[in-house]
Amino acid sequence: MAVSSGPVTGSLRRDDGLLRRIVTHRADYAYVLPALVVMMVVIAYPIWFTVDMSFYKTPASLQLRDRTFVGWKNYHTILTAPAFWSVTLNTLIWTVASTFFAFLLGLGAALSLHREFAGRAVLRAILLIPYVISAVAASYLWKWLYHSDFGVIGALSVQWGFTDKPINFLDNIHTALPSLIVVNIWREFSFAMIMLMAGLQTVPEQLLRAAQVDGANAWQRFWHVTAPHLKGVSMVTVLLLMVANFNSFIVPWLMTGGGPAGASDIWITHIYQIAFGRQNWGLASAYSVILFIVMMCLGYFYVQALTRGDKGRPE
Amino acid sequence: MAKVTLENVVKTYGPVTAVGDVSFTVQDGEFVALVGPSGCGKTTTLNLIAGLIPISGGNIRIGDKLVNDLDPKDRDIAMVFQNYALYPNKTVAKNLAFPLQMRRLPKDEIARKVAEAARVLDITHLLERKPRELSGGQQQRVALGRALVRDPRAFLMDEPLSNLDAKLRVQMRTELKRFHQDLKATIIYVTHDQLEAVTMADKMAVMNGGTLQQYDSPKNVFDHPVNTFVASFVGSPAMSLVPLRRVVEGDAVALAGDGWQMPLSPANARKALSAKSDTVILGARHSTIALHDGPREGAVPGRVYTVEPTGDVTFVQVHVDGAIVIASLAPDVAVRSDTNVWLGFDQSRMHLFDCETQMALT
Ligand SMILES: Nc1ncnc2c1ncn2[C@@H]1O[C@H](COP(=O)(O)OP(=O)(O)O)[C@@H](O)[C@H]1O
Ligand SMILES: [Mg+2]
Repeated sequence: MAVSSGPVTGSLRRDDGLLRRIVTHRADYAYVLPALVVMMVVIAYPIWFTVDMSFYKTPASLQLRDRTFVGWKNYHTILTAPAFWSVTLNTLIWTVASTFFAFLLGLGAALSLHREFAGRAVLRAILLIPYVISAVAASYLWKWLYHSDFGVIGALSVQWGFTDKPINFLDNIHTALPSLIVVNIWREFSFAMIMLMAGLQTVPEQLLRAAQVDGANAWQRFWHVTAPHLKGVSMVTVLLLMVANFNSFIVPWLMTGGGPAGASDIWITHIYQIAFGRQNWGLASAYSVILFIVMMCLGYFYVQALTRGDKGRPE
Repeated sequence: MAKVTLENVVKTYGPVTAVGDVSFTVQDGEFVALVGPSGCGKTTTLNLIAGLIPISGGNIRIGDKLVNDLDPKDRDIAMVFQNYALYPNKTVAKNLAFPLQMRRLPKDEIARKVAEAARVLDITHLLERKPRELSGGQQQRVALGRALVRDPRAFLMDEPLSNLDAKLRVQMRTELKRFHQDLKATIIYVTHDQLEAVTMADKMAVMNGGTLQQYDSPKNVFDHPVNTFVASFVGSPAMSLVPLRRVVEGDAVALAGDGWQMPLSPANARKALSAKSDTVILGARHSTIALHDGPREGAVPGRVYTVEPTGDVTFVQVHVDGAIVIASLAPDVAVRSDTNVWLGFDQSRMHLFDCETQMALT
């Protein structure tokens, strides 16, 4: 095949240095320069600022002139505090349980909604409500549902004889986190459902028919055709949910504020308290940096999942 | 292998009739091509036979068994799809094994059958590859193999060659024909390409608008089309059709155009007289038309529109009375556009159709 060279066609040898490439493609780089500058200002600078601050002891006043360099002390404080490990455990439980059940419920909903039946459109619209409703509204809605005096859930559990008196779900160290997770699952399964419904629509009809002729029953068709086809979109969905859950703030903050006694405290609410409650900016920054590193790892897997399909293609 | 019988089969989607009252019998070991333009109901018919969609009316039998309400897996048929429908996440070997696994055959028997099918189709060296690592022709062969391993009662194929390039298509056509001969398989083969049907099939079922137009051997369909649709669909280039006036003077019957008359032979005269109206459609294939450069007894005047040399023959499109008639010449005969020519129709091989019903006059 003929390969033309020159700056416009972009044919490059792999051993070209970055600088050389920039010079050859200066027009291309000039076009993206404004975007790069904006990104540097709004992303790179805050990251650098946070990393920098994580090595200082800062006064509550945020007078940064008065800060003192403390090296790794903030990190040491974090990693040796018992709270860190309980918050980390909570965050893991919160993230894994929310993601797992939201995905499972979303998959179930998507599969049920995929076949034709009367009222399908209405049901689909209803099941989308948790996704479109604002997190703040959902938090207050569920706060009422869980309320020990007025809540429907407590009343029902008494009426059906599960408990003698209404449980104070959000004020009990054993039920606070699970109760929050239920709300989170309720909010997020809609999202998983939309993603998987879109995925289901791309399952080739002919493959399902071929499997049917080959003698596969409904479950075997799902396992051998549909599930492998949904692998990509499932990975993306799970990773997006994990990132969202790691970063959750509104629901836990509004419903329990991390309480009682830190029973539902997760990283983000914990950092928020350190920063805006205790106004210990340096410590909060160090916490943020740790969270950032975890998020970067998740982000790496996310990009891998997104680009996985391209690598497998034949030349 | 078994015979397949369709009796008054109907499939409707709400107000749309996809297949309307189709009946035909495919004998055991016969290769039947289901042809017709896109959207005429070929795939629907095949899916009905496979049991992939519920039937709205009529009966389908495989062997002597009524299968109307049987699941696809219980009909014991195999299907080959247009874009092969190979399971992308499985290797070729696993693709071939799949229908056997679903039928719970013992492992060693599966392995034996897969190896045998791979050998027959010459794909043994591809067994560990994934479908996306195969060329179109190789994928096609694997799809065929997946149908073959099971030793089904009939093969259903939906345009299995239409995704291949022209050269490979011709090659696979030969192989499919050979495959049919060796296996004595009952095959129902859907195609919109009439040439594929003519070259491979024992019988052709020509469909249009959801109904069966003609069911016969390719030769009979070619030589005796029952209506103008079949006449123009089968054969390449298509049969020329010219609507003309019927003129009756005593015993003599002629077809008349603008300033000319063509007397009809007694046999053709009888056909023409059976037409419901005075307009009769004359049909003729290019090979039955002689081209003259001067007036002849019974020849029809026309004007050359275009000349298309193909190497073997030269097709000449001639304006006759507002219609186009395609004739052919040996490649060494020279004709030029916009010259006058005279067409001699072979009376023993011409076709006459009723203009109102579009049916062949007999
Ligand atoms: N699921 C369906 N719903 C409504 N109409 C359909 C459906 N499937 C096929 N049809 C209609 O039935 C007719 C025949 O379709 P098909 O059998 O796919 O044609 P072919 O295979 O000959 O190209 C078409 O007019 C098509 O629009
Ligand atoms: Mg079709």
